[in-house]
Amino acid sequence: MAPELEAILDPRGAAPDEGAARLAPRKDSLEGRRVGLLNNAKPNAAVILERLATLLQERYGVADVMMLSKPSFAVPADDVMMDKLAEQCDAVIAGVGDCGSCSAATTADGVLLEQRGVPAAAIVTDIFRASSAAMAQLKGFPGYKFVAVPHPIASLEGDEIDHLAEAALPEVLAILGVPA
Amino acid sequence: MSTEGLRIDHRGVRQAIEYYFDNDLTDGLPVVPATDTAVAEFLEQVDRDPDEIVATIPHLDRHCNVRLAAVNAVMAGCRAEYFPVVLAALDAMHRDTKARGSTRFASGLWQSTTGSSPLMIINGPARTALGFNAKGNVFGPGFRANATVGRAIRLIALNAFGLQPHVLDQATQAHPGKYTCCIAENEEESPWGPLSEDAGYPAGSSTLAFMMARSTLHIEARSATRPEHLLSDLANSIARTGGLYSETAACCVVLGPEHAALCHAGGFTKADVKAFLAEHAVCTRAALEQAGKTGLSRDMHWLVPADHPDAVPGEEPSFDSDGLHHVLPSPDEVVVVVAGASNAGVSTVIDLMGSTSARAAQGGGRVPAMAEIRLGAVPG
Repeated sequence: MAPELEAILDPRGAAPDEGAARLAPRKDSLEGRRVGLLNNAKPNAAVILERLATLLQERYGVADVMMLSKPSFAVPADDVMMDKLAEQCDAVIAGVGDCGSCSAATTADGVLLEQRGVPAAAIVTDIFRASSAAMAQLKGFPGYKFVAVPHPIASLEGDEIDHLAEAALPEVLAILGVPA
Repeated sequence: MSTEGLRIDHRGVRQAIEYYFDNDLTDGLPVVPATDTAVAEFLEQVDRDPDEIVATIPHLDRHCNVRLAAVNAVMAGCRAEYFPVVLAALDAMHRDTKARGSTRFASGLWQSTTGSSPLMIINGPARTALGFNAKGNVFGPGFRANATVGRAIRLIALNAFGLQPHVLDQATQAHPGKYTCCIAENEEESPWGPLSEDAGYPAGSSTLAFMMARSTLHIEARSATRPEHLLSDLANSIARTGGLYSETAACCVVLGPEHAALCHAGGFTKADVKAFLAEHAVCTRAALEQAGKTGLSRDMHWLVPADHPDAVPGEEPSFDSDGLHHVLPSPDEVVVVVAGASNAGVSTVIDLMGSTSARAAQGGGRVPAMAEIRLGAVPG
């Protein structure tokens, strides 16, 4: 007698998302606008975000900067924080995702802000591209562009931070849709 | 040894095993193929709706229901009778996740560079009924219940939650317990009550405690004759600077039965052990300075060099009047269990991720996160 055959069961939790997420409309200039900084509070993150904000104020006429610090770097910001950024800012820079959980969380912050209608540049370190890309796909935005800066971040000192911010600026502007 | 004439369709078996490898559905070891018949046998062991969601990683939008847990438990090599323990592990994990709430790591620690491993500790009659090892080689191989229940949780992480290495799981090195890390308490050779009773479960309860472990540190104290010597040895290991990323630590101390007996003979209760460790787990300022850990970062208050760009000027870890920094803010940061063979003065210190008492303070209930094991329930 032939053995009874059975199908092998799929042990996975969910199929990949459809990719319904889209970018928010871009502004052609940051002149006179307010930029939000979504600080994940990892060592040196705020230092880098503040340096970038200073460059945007000095060179692109940004009028005002608002920084919010996440209570948990490991997961995306909550709705209250996201709503506040979306309502009060014209663009947001989120970062810096320099670890396993926070690279994905920072990328998710970027995607979720775009869904709320505000352009967002998520900054992660280059070694975590795979984690960031996987999270973008989970959040329905395969191929979402983020800023990948050289790893590491936590052990950088003064001059190195200035150089990193300077080098990252063109990509931040490109993602926010602002001519350099 | 006789194989009793057992003959198999080797092509079919190997094809099924290779299917799981080809589709990245394993931990790197072969799995048992899961089919409806096997899953039905597992589901018969519990009185739970197969569609009930038992654990979730909220920010990944990933959920595991009872059926999916059973599929992965079959694959891990569990016997059907173990499935209530797998569900208890998920229940406890869910409580652990909820208790962490929006603390710094939250459920993101499953993706962390730290590479923490779930640590599961079984108490009560379920240990003996199902054959969980609590004695020699308690963290080692050779015991199906320990090995496969722990492995089931890893397969659920990989498959149900999609936490694949090099992708969403970015552990720098990872704890080897990520394959499996499930032990039972050696209640028979412990001078104290079991962990389940510490947590308020009635005597005779079967429970599973769930923690996230960063490391297992072997402690040698074979010639200790006084509890104070042994406990100082443990305290020094808990307070080592290399274990500290922030000012404080939490740990699980797995005492070998010899060490537990030494403490008991010296008049130490379990609470005394915890209190002694909290009092004596200290770092000197000089040790922290040598390690470049006397500054505190903005917001996160992680230990950084005092001249680090993110160090808050003038802030440093707290020191007592003797210039000592206490790494355990309270005795509640220590979980004490007894496990292993009664054959040497050996114990283990396990660094835990996150603060156990902080979780309790946030309404996380018992310390650590625990759940009851309900064996062999018959569907109503």
